[in-house]
Amino acid sequence: LQVFDEEGKDVTPHPLFHSDPNTVVPRQGKLLASSAYFGATGSVFLSSFSMHQPSGANASLEQKRSRLLTSYNFSDVQVRQEEIKEELTKADLDRRVDLYLTETETVWILDMPSVVVSVESEDAGRVLERNRIYVDICTNRPGNDRFVEKMMQTINGAAKNKEVQCDKIIMEDKGMMVTSWDLYDSFHISEIEPTSKAEGSRTTTGKSSKSHTTKEHDRTMSVSSDRGSTTSSTMILESAVLARIHEEEECHSEAVLTSENFQQDLFFMERILMENIFQPKLAAYRQFPVLTDPDVTSDTSGTVAAVKEAKQEKHDKEKKDKEEQKEAFIDPSILSGLNKTPEEIVPPRLERLWSYVCDLTNGHSVSSMVWSKVNPDLLAVGYGAFDFKEQKKGLACCWSLKNPMWPERIFQCEHGVTALDFSMASPNLLAVGMYNGSVAIYDVRSCNDAALLDSSESSNKHTGPVWQLRWVEQDRGATGDGKKERLICISADGRITEWLIQKRLDCTDLIKIKRTESEKKKLPGEKERKSEALISQQAAGMCFDFHPKDTNFYLAGTEEGHIHQCSCSCNEQFLKTYRGHKGPVYKVAWNPFSTDMFLSCSADWSIILWHQDSQTPILTFSSATAFVHDIMWSPKSAFIFAAANESRVEIWDLSVSTLNPVISLFANPRVKFTSVLFAKNTDCLLVGDSKGEVSVFELQNLAAPNSNKV
Amino acid sequence: AEVEETLKRIQAHKGVIATIVVNAEGIPIRTTLDNSTTVQYAGLLHQLIMKARSTVRDIDPQNDLTFLRIRSKKHEIMVAPDKEYLLIAIQNPCE
Repeated sequence: LQVFDEEGKDVTPHPLFHSDPNTVVPRQGKLLASSAYFGATGSVFLSSFSMHQPSGANASLEQKRSRLLTSYNFSDVQVRQEEIKEELTKADLDRRVDLYLTETETVWILDMPSVVVSVESEDAGRVLERNRIYVDICTNRPGNDRFVEKMMQTINGAAKNKEVQCDKIIMEDKGMMVTSWDLYDSFHISEIEPTSKAEGSRTTTGKSSKSHTTKEHDRTMSVSSDRGSTTSSTMILESAVLARIHEEEECHSEAVLTSENFQQDLFFMERILMENIFQPKLAAYRQFPVLTDPDVTSDTSGTVAAVKEAKQEKHDKEKKDKEEQKEAFIDPSILSGLNKTPEEIVPPRLERLWSYVCDLTNGHSVSSMVWSKVNPDLLAVGYGAFDFKEQKKGLACCWSLKNPMWPERIFQCEHGVTALDFSMASPNLLAVGMYNGSVAIYDVRSCNDAALLDSSESSNKHTGPVWQLRWVEQDRGATGDGKKERLICISADGRITEWLIQKRLDCTDLIKIKRTESEKKKLPGEKERKSEALISQQAAGMCFDFHPKDTNFYLAGTEEGHIHQCSCSCNEQFLKTYRGHKGPVYKVAWNPFSTDMFLSCSADWSIILWHQDSQTPILTFSSATAFVHDIMWSPKSAFIFAAANESRVEIWDLSVSTLNPVISLFANPRVKFTSVLFAKNTDCLLVGDSKGEVSVFELQNLAAPNSNKV
Repeated sequence: AEVEETLKRIQAHKGVIATIVVNAEGIPIRTTLDNSTTVQYAGLLHQLIMKARSTVRDIDPQNDLTFLRIRSKKHEIMVAPDKEYLLIAIQNPCE
């Protein structure tokens, strides 16, 4: 319970007072009487006096009253104070105090009855009558005998002069500039706890101590700028803090550098710098019109203008030459192709925008890339080598569109990272599969390097590299839970497992991939030993893909070249097997639009398009004598897919040609392309290569899809 | 620390002429320019920041200034103000 005087001083009374209920009433009466004597103080005080006080904690209120009245020098109040002392326990202070407010009787200070009476009042008749009599008397007066005029003299008292002396009243002129934030701050200051106020008083005393005119003029800048006008309490606080800094310079600068605000500001600054540097590229990515600086003579470039606001309004001017002078990885020859003449039919091309690369990732091969499910600008890239010989420590990085030169998050892993996926249900979880078969889950919200969960302790973990992993949403119709998400991986030890996230990461097998014999000898699906001994009965799985519409079915590709269609409900047998590849199948992908078709790529230099119901390939694409590491269907068109050979990236458009890719981009000689990823919200393709670079290319002039069925 | 790393990266960026960190008093804590220029920048920008902040808060007292960018013919000056410090970066985006 805290009590404040009118001046705002803290006059919380200490509990010395024990109010005796018996003496309450007479005390009140006395106070009432005496306060009526000083009635000028107003009824506010009086209302507080008549509060009933049932408990001892209210002694503090009595104290308040007594404090207020000390100025009136009540001796009897003092007496009452010393009379009874009570120790209030802490519990008393916390106890709920009931205050009863009652109204006192009205005290008349001045009563001037009015001389006007309403015509409709009861006395009206009488008053009118009296008025009439008075008027008659007045008219009768002059000549009447009953009235006599007489003079009188009153005594005037003698005036006496008296001199009085008082202290000189010092006047001060103060000017103040009132700004609305000033008012706001002052109001808020009074709401902050007393601790900060104590700090404020401490610093104001420090203010008077030093004058620092010795240093350069800039330091007095804050004072000189408000010359002649005073500032509010917060400003005083600031300038006082300045004075204190003069003594504690060293430790303060450390505090600045390590403060969190500083880190954040640095972060923003970096991003804004990046924005400045990369603006035309980012604009092309987002399909904004690229703006150029009118100060520098250059031709305006036009890209597809999808009109959107906000990002552009700050960048009124951009210069084109800066594109030419970027760091080494931008090829100016591509940039000159920006000017397109609308009359010609320009062939489709890939235009390189920028690369996600930094010192840290140089030298690591990109193994997989995946977009975040909620933030389409966040990309997770896993770095790790495919070959057994080149194993080194792996890396998983999260890159943001806003900073192409340094990843937002860096997670160091013990082994090479071979697969990654973001979760849909909890979009901050990133699951990472590694070359040694373990799976780790990271939380991208924290900058911490440690994995949230790791499967190294699990007894059931994979013994071969995890080649692919994915979070799959599945309908749990039976349990009625709605969609649940599962983490599924496939690895070289031939098992497809589902991982359960509890305190420790543990997995159960979905299916074991058994070796199947070739067509000539046996029927598919049976497992029989050949005459030669097999090292293992299981075939290494390389990839899988769940059906986009029915998440019970999935395809699994194996190292032997077979693709099996399996179902989650049956974990003994495959439903179907597709044979056609002669080498390990590196990737399978269902067509997102016409969901009966899927594509597979393998190390036998070919990409095969299958139909779900037919066990023989529908179409085969081969264009290079190199392993095809990765394929992906375009999210926009049913006919377009991208493939990463070792030396080229190809875009195939089935509506245009099934023999040749529509776009073919060659890599630098020493570099091999290892993975592709389409961007969902724009026409861009991301390509990862073996040097650790993830290049972003813009797809230009691809034919728009006119139908969605193959 | 990570702060040092980020600062170094910013300084190493293409086109960045200078990076200055000034404390609330106007004393440079970190700078890549010579002292007199740094002090000049710090002093002038401090006044500008105060004016800008006053403007922003006059319109709505609950608002506050978070970043200021000044684009001139030759450079772009970016200032991140705070109660205790000023982070200034000068970039030449055309170079």
